[in-house]
Amino acid sequence: MSFMGGAECSTAGNPLSQFTKHVQDDKSLQRDRLVGRGPGGLQEGMRSQAMGGGQDNMMNEFLNHPSQLPQGPNPASPFAMEQMRRELERTNQRTGSPAWAAEFDPGVQGPAAMDPGMQGPRSAGFNPVEFAKYEHMNNINATARAASPSMASQAGMMGYQRPMYGGGMGMGMGGMGMGMGGMGMMQQPYQQPIQAEGKGKGRMVELDDKDWEAEFAQMESTDTKDLDAEANAAMEAELNDMDRSVDNFGDFESVWRGIQAEAQIGRQLADEETFVDGMHMGDLDQWEGFDGLNTHSAMRDPQLGEYLFEDENLFKDVSNPFQEGVRIMDEGGNLSLAALAFEAAVQKDPQHVEAWTKLGAAQAQNEKEQPAIRALEQALQLDPSNLEALMGLAVSYTNEGYDSTAYRTLERWLATKYPSLIKEPLSSGADIGFTDRQMLHEKVTNLFIEAAQLSPSGEQMDPDVQVGLGVLFYGAEEYEKAVDCFGAALASTESGTTNQQNQLHLLWNRLGATLANSGRSEEAIDAYERALALRPNFVRARYNLGVSCINIGCFAEAAQHLLGALAMHKVVEKEGRERAREVVGDAVNEVELDRMISQNQSTNLFDTLRRVFSQMQRRDLGDLVGPGMDVERFRSEFEF
Amino acid sequence: MSLKNDAFPSSAAFDAIAASLSTSDADRKDAIKKGGTIFAFTLKNGAGETESWYIDLKETGTVGKGAAPEGKKAGVTLSLSDKDFQSLIAGKANAQKLFMAGKLKVKGDVMKATKAEPILKKAQTQAKL
Repeated sequence: MSFMGGAECSTAGNPLSQFTKHVQDDKSLQRDRLVGRGPGGLQEGMRSQAMGGGQDNMMNEFLNHPSQLPQGPNPASPFAMEQMRRELERTNQRTGSPAWAAEFDPGVQGPAAMDPGMQGPRSAGFNPVEFAKYEHMNNINATARAASPSMASQAGMMGYQRPMYGGGMGMGMGGMGMGMGGMGMMQQPYQQPIQAEGKGKGRMVELDDKDWEAEFAQMESTDTKDLDAEANAAMEAELNDMDRSVDNFGDFESVWRGIQAEAQIGRQLADEETFVDGMHMGDLDQWEGFDGLNTHSAMRDPQLGEYLFEDENLFKDVSNPFQEGVRIMDEGGNLSLAALAFEAAVQKDPQHVEAWTKLGAAQAQNEKEQPAIRALEQALQLDPSNLEALMGLAVSYTNEGYDSTAYRTLERWLATKYPSLIKEPLSSGADIGFTDRQMLHEKVTNLFIEAAQLSPSGEQMDPDVQVGLGVLFYGAEEYEKAVDCFGAALASTESGTTNQQNQLHLLWNRLGATLANSGRSEEAIDAYERALALRPNFVRARYNLGVSCINIGCFAEAAQHLLGALAMHKVVEKEGRERAREVVGDAVNEVELDRMISQNQSTNLFDTLRRVFSQMQRRDLGDLVGPGMDVERFRSEFEF
Repeated sequence: MSLKNDAFPSSAAFDAIAASLSTSDADRKDAIKKGGTIFAFTLKNGAGETESWYIDLKETGTVGKGAAPEGKKAGVTLSLSDKDFQSLIAGKANAQKLFMAGKLKVKGDVMKATKAEPILKKAQTQAKL
């Protein structure tokens, strides 16, 4: 190869020395990026390497034909190009990248698309500046001719990052992260030390892809007008840089610097608060509930306020209403009555933590979530480490969709029961973002798993930990795991608060709810039946049973269950009247008694029942549903 | 009047949504506040037929057949197969995942489309722990 080092063939004058410089650059990394990185990256690299060997041979063959090497640069280039072109056609069939291009633009055929890049003017996707540069370089010599397409397409790539970034904006923070990641990926190929191995074809293969990218970039940037000017400026700067480095083209330093500057701008943009305005972010209020699950509202702590007591309480004159309430609960009596008893108890003694806790539990089981949360919060204010109240509150929060609050409550529960596991301070109650919520969930879940590992496996595990874990998985919609946890809690022989004999129905109901929400309504119904067998007055299970019936399309049955649940609420009225007469004599009039359960109505039951009727095409019945409805009127239509 | 079309089993969900919107005033107002546009759903069944429904959460909070209420235009149109819609309603599929997989196509205001999911959740009543 001495002919290349000769005086008549100085570096500047001999296109071939330039040429070899280019064809000997290892572009495998660049191409691999296009074909696909990730787990397969290594393999790709190896394959390219092997291929490179073959091309090397061809290259040598080509260089070792002195007779075919003419003196002037111009006659040389057509031959070289032709050779490359044929080679390219073969390479195209071997590599995945044309497929990639074809996937995005079926109109572009690998080799065909290369032609405009190699030959005459192609104005399609390039702005005038770029094109002028291209023309200019085209005329310099064959070296630039070979080089310019790839160079231009590098500029195109710069442009390409932009719209991608802009698109990322549209997709929110997650998307933006993607944009940044993409940039990082693009930088990588340049970062790699350039190894000198014959890889001429690698570059040419890139050509059509990048060509496409450039065109794509152009199209995109017309859409994102704000970015356009900036992108153009960046592109021009890039081109200028490259123009300067034409005679030293193997040096990618300038390109790299350009990309760094580009990334810098990107980062600044992300940092600036004002970027919102320029990026077609749309109305900010549209981002409310952006993830489609209303997590924004779920992130805030619910503000429910104080517990609202019933105006009239027939237990208010009972000497020990708390005992009365506990007795009603244990006997599986009416939950509304039990709730009234506990209300009377806390009204007598507002510091009665256990009464507050039981009141919350009774209201939750009675399908009255909001009063339950209020009562349990009250209990925790008095005693922040009440395990039962914490667990009940976590469940209620989960039901109402206050996910992050539920996670924090569970964290507090764990911190109380297993203080040794808590190594960092508990999460604060401040507003947290979407990703933070995921992290919080992960953190609390891990803590619970650790707690579960503390106790021996099998039947001796702490059922409470399993329940907590179940609630966590339920909140994250990992129903399979939640079902496992609740099942394990049921199977556990260790006694905890959640699997005492008088709490088992709760567990069955939780298992059922989890099954129902994961689409296994039939199994859920089975679980509910078991809960109801233990506690026929368990309103929530009855409500859930109704819901499952709706979901499998058995509306008549659903109506029966829901009416049954409502009838249990009404029992207060009937029993109440009798008891009220016992307690206070006949002094209480009927109207006042009717208002008795007015404070803590369950709108949930009414709404669901109305929905059932309207899906049964019985709007007439639906109109009868509402507070103060007469459940008995439906007895002619339904059995309950 | 039933919105269900027997050729599209999942369309029963529109009845459920209509029921949930019409039964509770608070629910409807909430849904209109959260939705704020007219959602059109174009379903394609196994036989290749297509049919559209709309959920007007701009003004009236009603559900009906057709791409939009008379004289109005849907703000966003979601096109997907009957089967995918079924799993979306049942909570077995996630709209974002369907979208990423190309099974759900969105025409119009994509931002608004993200709000469709909580609306669809109304078709499915959640059980409680």
